[in-house]
Amino acid sequence: MGYLAGFPITLKKWFEGVTTKNYRAGKGGKSDVKAPKPDRLHGRHVLNRYEDGLEKCIGCELCAGVCPAKCIYVRGADNNPTDPTSPGERFGFVYEINYLRCIHCDLCVEACPTEAITESKLFEFSFEDRKSAIYTKNELLVDEDGKPQQLPWEDWREGEDKATSGWMRATAPSGDSNYVGKVAWSGELGYGVRQPESVELTIKPKSGDSK
Amino acid sequence: MTATESSAVKATTGVPFTLNGQELHAEEGELLIEACDKNGVHIPRFCYHKRMESVGMCRMCIVEVDTGRGPALQPSCMLTVTPEMKVETESEATKDAQDGVLELLLANHPLDCPVCDKGGECPLQDNAFAYGPGESRFVEEKRHFEKPIPISDLVKLDRERCILCDRCTRFASDVAGDSLIHFIDRGSSTQVNTFPDHPFASYYSGNTVQICPVGALTAAPYRFKARPWDLTGSPSTATVDSSGSRVLVQSSQDKVVRIQGVDSDAVNWGWLSDKERFIYEANVSEDRILQPMRRAVDGSLEPMRWNDALKQTSEALGKKAAAIGGARLTLEAQHVWQKVLADEFSVVSYDASLGDDVSADVVDSLPKATYDWAFNAGSVVVVVGQDLKEILPSIYLRLRGVVKDGSVELVEFNYKSGSLAKLARKSVQSRPGELAKDVKQAFTATPGERSSDLNCLVDTDKPLTVIFSRPNVAESADYLTEALQVIQSVRPDAHFLPAFRRGNTVGAQLAGLTPGVREVATEDEIIVEQVAVVGRPTAEILQEAANGEVETLLLLGADPISDFPDKALAEAALDAVNTVIAVDCFENPSVASANVILPVAMYGEVNGHFVNSEGRLSPLGARVTAPGLVRSDLEIAASLAKTAPQSNSDAQSSLETSHMLGSEPIAWDLLELSSEGARIKTPTKPIQRVKADVPTVADGLRLVIGNKLWDQGTIVENSRTLAGLCETFKVRINPADADRFGLTAGAEIVVKNAKATASVPFITDSSVAEGVLWAPANVRGFDPRSFVTFSESVCYVEVSAGEQK
Repeated sequence: MGYLAGFPITLKKWFEGVTTKNYRAGKGGKSDVKAPKPDRLHGRHVLNRYEDGLEKCIGCELCAGVCPAKCIYVRGADNNPTDPTSPGERFGFVYEINYLRCIHCDLCVEACPTEAITESKLFEFSFEDRKSAIYTKNELLVDEDGKPQQLPWEDWREGEDKATSGWMRATAPSGDSNYVGKVAWSGELGYGVRQPESVELTIKPKSGDSK
Repeated sequence: MTATESSAVKATTGVPFTLNGQELHAEEGELLIEACDKNGVHIPRFCYHKRMESVGMCRMCIVEVDTGRGPALQPSCMLTVTPEMKVETESEATKDAQDGVLELLLANHPLDCPVCDKGGECPLQDNAFAYGPGESRFVEEKRHFEKPIPISDLVKLDRERCILCDRCTRFASDVAGDSLIHFIDRGSSTQVNTFPDHPFASYYSGNTVQICPVGALTAAPYRFKARPWDLTGSPSTATVDSSGSRVLVQSSQDKVVRIQGVDSDAVNWGWLSDKERFIYEANVSEDRILQPMRRAVDGSLEPMRWNDALKQTSEALGKKAAAIGGARLTLEAQHVWQKVLADEFSVVSYDASLGDDVSADVVDSLPKATYDWAFNAGSVVVVVGQDLKEILPSIYLRLRGVVKDGSVELVEFNYKSGSLAKLARKSVQSRPGELAKDVKQAFTATPGERSSDLNCLVDTDKPLTVIFSRPNVAESADYLTEALQVIQSVRPDAHFLPAFRRGNTVGAQLAGLTPGVREVATEDEIIVEQVAVVGRPTAEILQEAANGEVETLLLLGADPISDFPDKALAEAALDAVNTVIAVDCFENPSVASANVILPVAMYGEVNGHFVNSEGRLSPLGARVTAPGLVRSDLEIAASLAKTAPQSNSDAQSSLETSHMLGSEPIAWDLLELSSEGARIKTPTKPIQRVKADVPTVADGLRLVIGNKLWDQGTIVENSRTLAGLCETFKVRINPADADRFGLTAGAEIVVKNAKATASVPFITDSSVAEGVLWAPANVRGFDPRSFVTFSESVCYVEVSAGEQK
């Protein structure tokens, strides 16, 4: 009857109570309120824009290069000089993150030279197939108001869109002059205000500069 | 560009010097920076490049040197090692100087590394990281220029990033001889730029992008395609011409995105022509054929299955068949195609070259030279035929280098002076039909009659190399053959180097895919047994086809309508045959009449080997997977063997072996293996005696059809950036002839003979011989072959002034 010897441990544990925390707040996890998240939680990414609507991503692929899970795929392309997508010569033409691979380490955010990619605190999202696990630029890019898109399969709650930390620089260098000095989004989103950087460079014409 | 590999072997003799307290030896006259490299001490540098003269522009290689007068900071790229020199590369003073130089260079360098194509492989980034101050003290505005300006169709220049190292300008003027970019302005406004209205239209512009130590020069085809850290590379060989330049084929996301030159001492010294460098664009062309196609009744193409395509091909090859082309395939594919055609389908008519190059028989019978042998100091090079710059551009750079520094004497025989005419000892302008006569005159004249410049031709102390190419497709090839015979009879010690237009022509000869008498050693290897003539020249194949004696014509990546000297015959032949099977990747004029198209893998998609014009065997690397349903030539040939009607199992298994190993009985015994690859042993066949016709004398100009680097070749036409580089048709006439015929500049002229009349633009060009009308082959606008009667040995045309525009 030696096999019964293990049962006392099982029985003892039975009455010890549950150590798993309820994710849902409220007693017994019944109410539909999310538990508070740590300040530095890494969630779903967003691709930010400048105040004037230009995309911050310049397609430099540094995020893809640093990614330990190799889940980011970026391709750059030439900006159309008359209708640029981002400031400068190059923009992110393709931007994809495969969330089946992403480990939310945030190294992409650290590598980004323009603060184009940041992470929100949203982690309540799920997929039914591989294809929808790959977020493309269309889904990652913030909307015209600077807020992350709330996709149908994601569980966004009131105020959660504030936490995207995409606030640092307000106006695109060489962007639309109407927006110079204006700071709105970050303030509206409740993330404080930082003075915009000077974008008006005093460029002296050089004699040898070609037309 | 970066540090050369430090060799482990340290010299024990030579000039003694002290490097960081270590007693070492350098070679006589060696630069300090090179001596340090050899001893494993890396000195940072930007402007120094071992294939170019040092200029000491960037000051990055400054080190502390004591030659007995106390330590002083000196640039190590300008300093030869002298006895008892004491060098400190790690001293405080050196570090301070390096720090300062980098701070100065970075003062005006923009911080756009994230969008810069060089970012990640940039010597300025690397050196700033390794030797720089670490922090910037500058808060001032940086110097600004307009962001990239296109200085040619292939190269963009961003002057903000330029650190004025003089590498590109030095390359353009000293190495390539196209001084089209220069420093302009002074002081802090100094910048590199082109002359107004003169783009950087050089055949070698891509090299400046590769040697630029910052991202100031970027290549338009590679711009923003990938970042250095997601590139993977395979060593390979350029196949667009027969020079065999060593390259690194780099890909990202399974697409070839860049080709870089590899410094190979024996071949290209790291330089590439733009054609070799940018040819990969065609791989992703939208027009590429990606599945087997069949011609429907209404002439349109419709997809078909591989099985059906192979079956149809196999049935067609079973009837009276002939094959043209194959000089662009890998050596392995050439071998397997030859086996399949000859052994499985009993095809006797095949030729890898298209009648527009030197015939294989002539080449086979001549003792071969290597590039190294030809360009060795103290030797004489004779170029017979076309300008090497248009045919083997990367080898032209080596020839130019040795001719320019005077170590090699150059004599040219041609109808239009080559790009080195000014540096040559003598440039003999000949006329079609008189090449052999003029060569004979130069080699056999008595010392009194001969110009003293030509004495080097008969000076037997100096090794003689003849680099030859088909000078003109509008005349009989016999004149060149006769000229070579003359040289060989006067100088039996002369070596020869064919300049083939098509890449793997020598490989095709080795694999037996060119017509000729094959000699095979019998088993005791003493008696050489003659084997029957195999193959048949393209001219004969097309003639037979036009006569209705050929039912099936197989085109192995060949476009006879564009390339064969007699266009009408090629067209008639393709019309007359029942079935045309094209193994190709694009539609071209010849493929347009194909009944079945078998899509084939391109450069960078297949493994194999390549044999260059000097007979050097080098690898071809597969870097990416072939797209669509495309198959390699080997696969196609091997699967055809299985469907062959009289297929015998022995041949099949041998084919499979060679397919797997790529090493079945190609004439490997003809190859000498060495560290630089393999070379074909010089055969000892006697040259076939040819006596060319004496040309008839007629009024008018003699037509020369020569080649330009950029033409309407199938691959170039399908490369997005390169297609625009092909010029529009213009004939060139010597100014004296233009005066004689009363031709005015800017007007079109009327060119006519019994076969055709055409009004064409012309320019006067004193490099063209008098009495010659020079026309480029296969460019946009007009086809000069319409004037040529193939049976006549020289083609005459009459010119007259056209209507004023």
